[in-house]
Amino acid sequence: MDLSFITESLYFVKPEIAASASIILLVLLDLIFHKNKTIIPYVALAGIIITGIFVVDQFNISGFAFLSTDNPKYGMIAVDNFGAFFKLIIIISSIFVVAFSAYSDEINKITDRLGEYYALIFGMILGMLVLISASDLILIYLSMELLSLSSYVLAGFTKLRDRSSEASLKYLLYGATSTGMMLFGISILYGLTGSTNLYIISAALQTQSLNLLTLAFSIILIFAGIGYKISSAPFHFWTPDVYEGAPISITAYLSVASKAAGFALLIRFIKTTFVTFVDDNGNWQLLQVFDWESLLIIISLLTMTLGNFTALWQRNLKRMLAYSSIAHAGYLMLGLLVFSNQGLIAILIYFTIYLFMNLGAFFIVMVIANKTGSEDIDDYDGLGFKSSFLGVSLAIFLVSLTGLPPTAGFIGKLYLFIALVDAKMLTVAIIALLNTVVSLYYYIRVLKHMFLTSPTEKTEKIPLNFGQIAVIIIMLIPILLFGVYFSPVVDLAKSYITILGF
Amino acid sequence: MNLEIILFIVLALVAVVSSVAMITRPHPVISAVFLILNFFALSGLYLLLNAQFIAVVQVIVYAGAIMVLFLFVLMLLNTNKEDNIFKQNKALKIFAIAIAVLIFAQVAFLIFFSSPSDALNSQVAESVQSGTIQQIGTKLYTDYILPFEAAGFLLLAATIGALVLSKKKFE
Repeated sequence: MDLSFITESLYFVKPEIAASASIILLVLLDLIFHKNKTIIPYVALAGIIITGIFVVDQFNISGFAFLSTDNPKYGMIAVDNFGAFFKLIIIISSIFVVAFSAYSDEINKITDRLGEYYALIFGMILGMLVLISASDLILIYLSMELLSLSSYVLAGFTKLRDRSSEASLKYLLYGATSTGMMLFGISILYGLTGSTNLYIISAALQTQSLNLLTLAFSIILIFAGIGYKISSAPFHFWTPDVYEGAPISITAYLSVASKAAGFALLIRFIKTTFVTFVDDNGNWQLLQVFDWESLLIIISLLTMTLGNFTALWQRNLKRMLAYSSIAHAGYLMLGLLVFSNQGLIAILIYFTIYLFMNLGAFFIVMVIANKTGSEDIDDYDGLGFKSSFLGVSLAIFLVSLTGLPPTAGFIGKLYLFIALVDAKMLTVAIIALLNTVVSLYYYIRVLKHMFLTSPTEKTEKIPLNFGQIAVIIIMLIPILLFGVYFSPVVDLAKSYITILGF
Repeated sequence: MNLEIILFIVLALVAVVSSVAMITRPHPVISAVFLILNFFALSGLYLLLNAQFIAVVQVIVYAGAIMVLFLFVLMLLNTNKEDNIFKQNKALKIFAIAIAVLIFAQVAFLIFFSSPSDALNSQVAESVQSGTIQQIGTKLYTDYILPFEAAGFLLLAATIGALVLSKKKFE
């Protein structure tokens, strides 16, 4: 039997192979060096960087890997620029998370478990890398489970606090329910079309007349699984509790990387399965089998409104950032619901910026929590006077999250709104704009506590070492730079929107 | 009588006897062991139907994984109280009998009165073919090699995760 098509496919999955090898290496190193585990973070970092090099290597390469023997036109994995872009986002945020973990007191208390910690982080990385380029429902399900299982454990990793265990359990229960729903939807879709490959399903949808009600039912069920990963309403209930209970490094990772993978999956699923062709203006022509537009508009507006309004009442900064990340999922969905290349470009720009601003905010909350042991907003009173560098940096990240100029967050929101206006969705744009105004209140309230409240006797100076300052500055630079000089990001995003098949 | 019929009768007898024994034993652990015997007999029946994959899965998943879980739960919980459930609650007993009679009637109807569909024949032959271990193995290691590997890493992550969570609190 000729198996050369498998060995040829390996060329397309080099990042995934590097990530898999790293998992095994980390597990082995954990056994070998079980007395002194200081080497493990460095190995993990090296593994991520090697994976990243292979990802960069994949730019401008496209093709199917692991072709099906029955239908050699399509394969399990679609390698394209769109996937490579999201993989790069995963890799960058993974590098930051290793840096976060090195400075996190929560993680440093458990040095004897570092091997498992990084092995599970690599489990997440592998899951996300496969999820981003998977074009087969079986592979999508399995990689999503790999991502979820690793993150359930990481959410409850420290176990020092009851909240951490609670977070893990809640995450698991919500996750099991929504993946179950997604599997049910997948089984219905398979029953309707007779294939698990997205491209073959798309062909079947175009040629056969199917029962549209059953199809809609299966799509909504599949959306439940994806919506859970990107924490969109009404599947967002786990987010605040999990984000609050998990170690901050993991919270930051979940809010950026896991969400990016979920979005990549959602976009690829819709684009390959339901879009017939892209016209000259870059507008996607959807198959008239399911009203994606109404569904996404409702969910997007619901997500951002719920996220923003609930954030108003939060006094715990981690919890507030959790609700803000829900709201950001809503904003990101705006880029998808216009169904055009312009919207996709806006999503890529927004994600690049969101990566830095959200991780930056979480990092500073972590540094402060390391010292004060709390994330309560009252403990931030007068912080701007005592530790001015931290205060100013956090202010910049929060202003960027609101979307005010001259920070990069403004550019991200601007492109999303332009895409909406060009698609003649003024009502949606206005509601989203009003949402931004609401979000201003809770972000600025933190600034008020830091700069306008005088320091109490409890407020102490937060000591910073060189590494922590370096990490903060590396995240600050893109926020300030892209706020005024944003054409490189826009050009980058424009050249990375090709999804295989069109 | 050919060998197949003899095998069927033996396996069917084991299955019926073990299932009756399972529901009549007062001690739950012994019931569980009879259930395992029943699973093995059933998997033998599947083998007779040339459904090798289902037979293997029956043993691995049901007799292996699920039964071990059952036994653990039975041994960890105090099951003495549950012996008395039916004695105390007469209504529950009547309800259980009613359900059992209903299901028995359904199965009996399917066996004796429903007519087998004739359109199935060629498809049945095909599905028998695709149920063999060789077919499934070939698919798993060619078309589905990537999901297969992903499942492997999924299990590795689950093992590490179970290890982390089951350990006592960190010092």
